[in-house]
Amino acid sequence: MIAAARWRVIRRRLLQALPVLVLATFVVFSLLKLMPGDIAITLAGENATEERIHEIRELYGLNRPFLVQYGNWLAHAMQGDLSKSLANGEAVATSIARAFPNTLLIVVLAMAVALGLGVPLGMLAASRPDGLRDRLVTSIASLGIAVPNFWLAMLLVAWLALNFGWFPATGAVALKDDPLRALHHAILPALALAAGGVAEVSRQLRSSLVEILSSPQVRTLRAKGLSAGVILWKHGLKNAGVNLLTVATLLFNRMLAATVVVEAVFAIPGMGNLIVNAALTRDLPVVQGVVFVMVLVVISINLAADLLYTVLDPRIS
Amino acid sequence: MTNAHDAQAPQPSTAGLTRRDLMALAGAIPLGGTAWAQGAAPQRGGTLKVSANANPSSLDPATGGAGTDHSFLWTMFDTLVEWDYDTLKTRPGMAAFNFPDPRTMVLDIRPGILFHDGTPMDAAAVKFNFDRSRSDARSNIKADLQNVAQVDVTGPLQVTVKLARPDTALPAILSDRAGMMVSPKAVQALGNEHDRKPVGTGPWKFVSWSANEKIVVTRADKYWRQDRGFVDGIEFLIIPELATGLRAVVAGQNDFAYQVPPRLMPLIDKAKNLQKVTGPTLYCLQVYFNLAKKPLDILKVRQAINHALDRNSFVKASLAGVGEPAYMNLPKTHWAYDETLVKLYPHNIDLAKKLLAEAGFPNGIDLTVGSYTDQDSVRRSEIVGEQLRKAGIRLKYITGTIPEISGQFFGNEKKFDMLLSAWTGRPDPSMTYSLLYSKDAYFNAGRVDHGKALTDLLAESRVAERIEGRKLIFWQLQRNVMEQALVAPLAFQYELVAASQKVKGYKPNLLGKPKYEFVSLQG
Repeated sequence: MIAAARWRVIRRRLLQALPVLVLATFVVFSLLKLMPGDIAITLAGENATEERIHEIRELYGLNRPFLVQYGNWLAHAMQGDLSKSLANGEAVATSIARAFPNTLLIVVLAMAVALGLGVPLGMLAASRPDGLRDRLVTSIASLGIAVPNFWLAMLLVAWLALNFGWFPATGAVALKDDPLRALHHAILPALALAAGGVAEVSRQLRSSLVEILSSPQVRTLRAKGLSAGVILWKHGLKNAGVNLLTVATLLFNRMLAATVVVEAVFAIPGMGNLIVNAALTRDLPVVQGVVFVMVLVVISINLAADLLYTVLDPRIS
Repeated sequence: MTNAHDAQAPQPSTAGLTRRDLMALAGAIPLGGTAWAQGAAPQRGGTLKVSANANPSSLDPATGGAGTDHSFLWTMFDTLVEWDYDTLKTRPGMAAFNFPDPRTMVLDIRPGILFHDGTPMDAAAVKFNFDRSRSDARSNIKADLQNVAQVDVTGPLQVTVKLARPDTALPAILSDRAGMMVSPKAVQALGNEHDRKPVGTGPWKFVSWSANEKIVVTRADKYWRQDRGFVDGIEFLIIPELATGLRAVVAGQNDFAYQVPPRLMPLIDKAKNLQKVTGPTLYCLQVYFNLAKKPLDILKVRQAINHALDRNSFVKASLAGVGEPAYMNLPKTHWAYDETLVKLYPHNIDLAKKLLAEAGFPNGIDLTVGSYTDQDSVRRSEIVGEQLRKAGIRLKYITGTIPEISGQFFGNEKKFDMLLSAWTGRPDPSMTYSLLYSKDAYFNAGRVDHGKALTDLLAESRVAERIEGRKLIFWQLQRNVMEQALVAPLAFQYELVAASQKVKGYKPNLLGKPKYEFVSLQG
């Protein structure tokens, strides 16, 4: 019964994904076409002539009707061919395959930090609402939310990389090449990315736990003689799980987007840098490819979260 | 127009290359002189790590187009003709060259040069490259070779280039992309993939290119010259954000960052582990005019703008002194520099106001200006805006990315009256002046005809035989451009390099694009 429900969720999500994918890529394609600037001018080189610019438009099909260009791209993308970068000729799939693990590593590490610190802090705050610990956690959370991650990133670089030399100031190492060095490179960007996440997780969990711990059900458990620890861990946290999962899912998706800034500060060759550079040069195939993959990732994350809901709370079908 | 020079017409210089002298010089000048290399003999070995500020457009010299590509290309490609680092005077590279008559150029290729795939760099290879550059649909350098009518192999190591019309800029053109020879075998085997797997004759050969991340080259064992190419390999880490690129050098991760903005100079000075290298370049910050737009079609308005600019203050405020005021499109050290133009537009607000009044704008004018969103451009916009405001020239800036704004200004949209941008320079001044001021030039935003005199001078600049003769023509050309106030040059931004102390032997060049052939790593 439960398995059938899960399959329904998967089927429904996958069906929903298709129009989302088409809509998202169409909107981005349209925006890029509407934006001023012409990659043909860039491709024509620094000694550009009107004639050469015209030739380039012909050569790359940039003068074809807008819908034809989009349709052509979509048809290829649906067959797994994300085309080649106009700006540097690399296959878009290759660029993404190299960049995505760098971004994913930072986000996963940042999520681990956000949850690893945010959950205990949230529980600590909820254990004595309005007490000293609660106020302290609230203050820390406010600070975490208020500090922009690019600024924190620059502070971390100045302090821990340039001053002490404990961490690299820039760049990334592929996890498959050298896992330890890859983690070493990812720590500072992950910390910069995680600060807001720690605050968000702790605040949301605290609110959720306070509500659960003040419910009649918990009052009954206390009356039956259960210790505060058992109530908090076994009953409080379990009931707050669905809420926590929602927060974590949203946070993960948001962190994927926030890497654009953090990757720029640390010069990490990830998805953020890839799409920013491509957008600046009007390299449409790369922008479209990154959007395509990111939409797929977000849909997959949401699907995984939907499936986990059914595990955490079997009442959700 | 040239009277100002008559009294000081230059004497023939022993350093000045002439067309007739070129053959003799080809034998007399040691290929690859290292006169400037100082101190102990360069140490071989090590990997140079460079913070590169842009991903290349292509690693095939014929199909790429970005000015930032050269720094990568020169590691893998030698050129048929080379230039002097300080003046850009041409000299033999992989080939000696001479002009037996104005419409014929003969290239004598140095023996023993091999492409990285082991095939010989001979006359057939040079002809293949010429033909490809002139006719391939993907070639971006067709216009550079537009005066070439025919290329013949006249010996195993000799190529004769027939010209449709005289073109004394050709040696300089062959010191650029058009002179970088690719392996015919590699191009035939790889097709378009050669863009990403180049095979040349340079000191280093291609290893890998991860777009927007890294380019790696390694020593070419059979490189034809022993007096350059000292490091075993070079890794270019692509970091578009210039401050971040510098940070990688400060942190000791990379060894070398180039084209560092002057505002970051205090960081280099503060870092004890770094050395700073500066030198003049052709990179000219300037205000472009669209002469097809009113009121910039009025000479006095353009002259007023030129008089209202305080170039010395601009250099101090905008470039932290790492530059020189620009009075034309060539800097002081260039062989065709004309010092008499310095006095043409002295900073004079009263004169600027007077000129505006005479042009019919006693209450000043309002102009729209395209500019860019990066920090340095914003600072420059503020300075120029404030300087012109004092003369009653009120600017309204529209900002965006470089492709967006420059496309709108030079392309079909013809937006903005002016553009605050830069001209990156070319190896030969005739290229610069043709690309900027000929009637149909893309960078002539209004596509305005600037007169027969200028058109004739542009043509003459490619006909004159001796370099001293060319210099006189460029003096006239520059004076014509500046007397018509076709542009408002601001300043030449000097090259600013931050390198770790172990980097030795680097010298900036006038093109402002680093070459690493003499760089070594010590310690």
